Amino acid sequence: MSDSATIVFEDVSRFYGEVLGVNRVNLTIPPGITSLVGPNGSGKTTLMNMMTGLVRPSRGTISVRGIAPDDPQALFRIMGYCTQFDSFPRGYTGIQFVTAALLMQGLPAAEAEAKAWKAIEKVNLVEAAKRKVAGYSKGMRQRIRLAQSIAHDPQVLVLDEPLNGLDPLVRSETIALFREQADRGAHVIVSSHVLHEVDMISDQVILLANGYVVAEGEIRGVRAEISDRPHQIVIRCDQPSRMASKLFEHDHVVEVRIHPDRQGLLVKTTDASHFHKLLNKLALDGIYIDTIAPADDDVNSLYEYLIGDEGGN
Amino acid sequence: MAVYKRSYTSYSGALTPPRTRFLVLPRYSYERLFKSRFLVGFLVACLFFPLGCIGYIYLVNNLTIFQSMGIPTPGFLKIDGKFFLVFMNFQGALAYVLTALIGPNLIAPDLANNALPTYFSRPFSRTEYVIGKISVLFILLSIITWVPGMLLFGVQASQAGWDWSVANWYILRGILLGHITWILLLSLISVAMSAWVKWKVVAGALILGIFGIGAGLAQIINSILRTDYGSMIDISRIMYTIWSDQFGIETSTGLEAFEAWIGFAAVCIVCLLMLERKIRPKEIVR
Amino acid sequence: MDTVLWRRQLLAIVQLEWKKTLFSKRGIWVYVLAFLPALLFGINAYRVKSIRAEQERMSVSAPNASAVSNKIVAGMSADVAAEALRDAKIPYSRFTRGRRLEVIRYNDGANAFDLMFREGALVDKRKRNQALLSDDIRAYAGMFQYFYLRLAIFFGCVGIFMNLFRGEMLDQSLHYYLLAPVRREVLMVGKYLSGLVATILIFGTSTALQLYLMLSAHSNKEVSDYLAGEGWGHIAAYLGVTALACVGYGSIFLAAGIIMKNPMVAAASILFWEGINWFLPAMLKKFSVIFYLQSLCPVVAPLNSDIPEPLKLLVTTAAPISAPIAILGLFTVSIAVLAFASIYVRKLEINYGAD
Repeated sequence: MSDSATIVFEDVSRFYGEVLGVNRVNLTIPPGITSLVGPNGSGKTTLMNMMTGLVRPSRGTISVRGIAPDDPQALFRIMGYCTQFDSFPRGYTGIQFVTAALLMQGLPAAEAEAKAWKAIEKVNLVEAAKRKVAGYSKGMRQRIRLAQSIAHDPQVLVLDEPLNGLDPLVRSETIALFREQADRGAHVIVSSHVLHEVDMISDQVILLANGYVVAEGEIRGVRAEISDRPHQIVIRCDQPSRMASKLFEHDHVVEVRIHPDRQGLLVKTTDASHFHKLLNKLALDGIYIDTIAPADDDVNSLYEYLIGDEGGN
Repeated sequence: MAVYKRSYTSYSGALTPPRTRFLVLPRYSYERLFKSRFLVGFLVACLFFPLGCIGYIYLVNNLTIFQSMGIPTPGFLKIDGKFFLVFMNFQGALAYVLTALIGPNLIAPDLANNALPTYFSRPFSRTEYVIGKISVLFILLSIITWVPGMLLFGVQASQAGWDWSVANWYILRGILLGHITWILLLSLISVAMSAWVKWKVVAGALILGIFGIGAGLAQIINSILRTDYGSMIDISRIMYTIWSDQFGIETSTGLEAFEAWIGFAAVCIVCLLMLERKIRPKEIVR
Repeated sequence: MDTVLWRRQLLAIVQLEWKKTLFSKRGIWVYVLAFLPALLFGINAYRVKSIRAEQERMSVSAPNASAVSNKIVAGMSADVAAEALRDAKIPYSRFTRGRRLEVIRYNDGANAFDLMFREGALVDKRKRNQALLSDDIRAYAGMFQYFYLRLAIFFGCVGIFMNLFRGEMLDQSLHYYLLAPVRREVLMVGKYLSGLVATILIFGTSTALQLYLMLSAHSNKEVSDYLAGEGWGHIAAYLGVTALACVGYGSIFLAAGIIMKNPMVAAASILFWEGINWFLPAMLKKFSVIFYLQSLCPVVAPLNSDIPEPLKLLVTTAAPISAPIAILGLFTVSIAVLAFASIYVRKLEINYGAD
């Protein structure tokens, strides 16, 4: 994929005095929804701020679809950033806030206002648009910021904890909005702490811990790369005890747990491909297998395997 | 039914007596303040002038050259009210600078971090809070103003004898009253400004600006309206008039002593009203 | 160079910013500072009018009042002075200020006096407002140069221009500008222009109002004579100097707000530098904004009476420079300061936690 279609970090480090922000980050992010996952202080926001030019790297270079972040005039034609800062310019109404950003794009006033209304419509905030932002609830403030960042139809949308403070209904609408943006070929970079949501929305994830990139790529691909942790697989079948005894004959199966309803079992294996071949054989031996599903190729498990206790620390 | 493990017991040790509880605030403030080398250095530098004055007092009292020549000691070498007024002016100016350095850190950070509800959720009243914050400055400024002033008076009294002390006791009163009123005024202005704005940078500017702009305004009121009463908003003139009056020295500030006292009282009242409005256990929940 | 886009963006920034600056609650103190002199000249106008009316009344009711007044000299007791005034049917008020000072206030038809008595003897015979336009013009010159330029516009510019970047940093709202497709230099110039619009509007209006109120105290003939002579030139010069002060101080404080985390240190240092300008050698004087502004002021202000006599000896004079050079000098200084600030604005980072 060419540079003009990806976001590239080359050996990027950022130090805040003696404190490490991020260190030696090398990334190539393709279009689609990419989630940045990591505990507090892992460097997610620093990475986003560097990508958008709000913070400059101490070392290394960044290119966003071929544009350097220190060229705001070019960068913010194609980029929108919804930050985590919950503050607004004083005295603005919702519509003024979004329109202001579009005026800065150089749009004529009428066109800016029309586009602002369109963006506000997308985040379902039309009724409150003429009220002062200072009087908004946390969720509304989050949505108006989102509206501002998508108003100029950016090709790269960077969103720092965008689902914070949103109620479940709005969350699903917002996630659908991200998907819509990604489907039209945009980069959607999201940071989130809510792992099951990341799981639902992400095409790829970047796991960060203590300023380092721990893993990156599609979730399943990342899981496959982790060889020191046995894969967990849930099997629903009619003879779980028999299946368990058969499985234990093989060295790569390290643990089998029969489900309390005695209709399934959880298997831990160090060799997933061998295991799947083995299942075919067992099915031919007369065990009826209803479903097979991986139990640990989600972000939650990746987080636990790769970051684990560090997250808590 | 929930079963809770009974592991928590409330504190049962000794408590700071309510009367001295306000001193908890300076204790912690000093811990933080004295971490700054610049501040400690400045505080030490503030004591150089009093040291020089002690040397001067000793020299003047032990000059034998004039006696040996049979002529009286020249007037400018006398230790009198004017000498102590110069001392008070110099140390008073240093106290002002020290206030501008420390003052903004008193209440503004508590406001910026919504810390007031935390203070007032304890057995700690608003008055105690204000007194505690004022005492941070009061104690520190005392060290560089009236305390060395009294020491100077003591040195001079020990050198010049009992008669001098009896004849000049008003100087002691002047040092005490003059510097304590100055400290009180500086502390009140400082905490009021610090409470009025939550950014310490702006609070610092206000503490500095109120003196400069007050003096400028006083000047234009006097010159446009051809009056002297404009000086009542010039804090440095107010204090200088009060000090000079204590030492029985005529001034050209255009103010009479009682007018200066009215100005002083007015500034204190305004500061107290500002504190009354701002020091409240409220929190802005966003 | 995309000049059309830059022009549009500049316009957008100015439109967004100037209202914010002009109508912010936080900025009320700037208005107070700016319009206080106008209020004082308003009060003065009222006083001058009442003094004039009193003088006219006196010329009818006590035609020999001036002669009596001339006989009141230093050392005279308060009772004797009061008796003399009473005998001449000159109305007076007698009051005390404190324990030691007694004042007799009267108007002899030509002048208004305050007689100051200490311990019963006349120590000072002070002329009060003479209701003369020439006096007011001098008072205005003093007020304009010592208060309006050095304090009101100075601190007003501190408040407004420092707020443009540092204030938004403290409010945590500057990032919205940095996330727009605007060159940082364009953003800086836009903010500077919006600050200029606001300050020139506030301080320019106040200057005009002050001059109007000052002149309104005097008779039509006096005013028209003054305007026919050098009056309009003075008015234009004062308005121009006001605008130039905003240009000069504005650029400095905008730069301080960008470059320094605690711009108050810069403000205090500049205030000190501008304050000691009188005592600086002629060469150093030129490295200040106030020097150029004072060179452009149409009336020489009397030296501040607050300066102690020994210090007055240290006051140096630099030959005032010609208006075009002063204006050019100020613009050059401002542009240089802004150019310097642009280096920093390009590197500006958002790190709200550190502020």
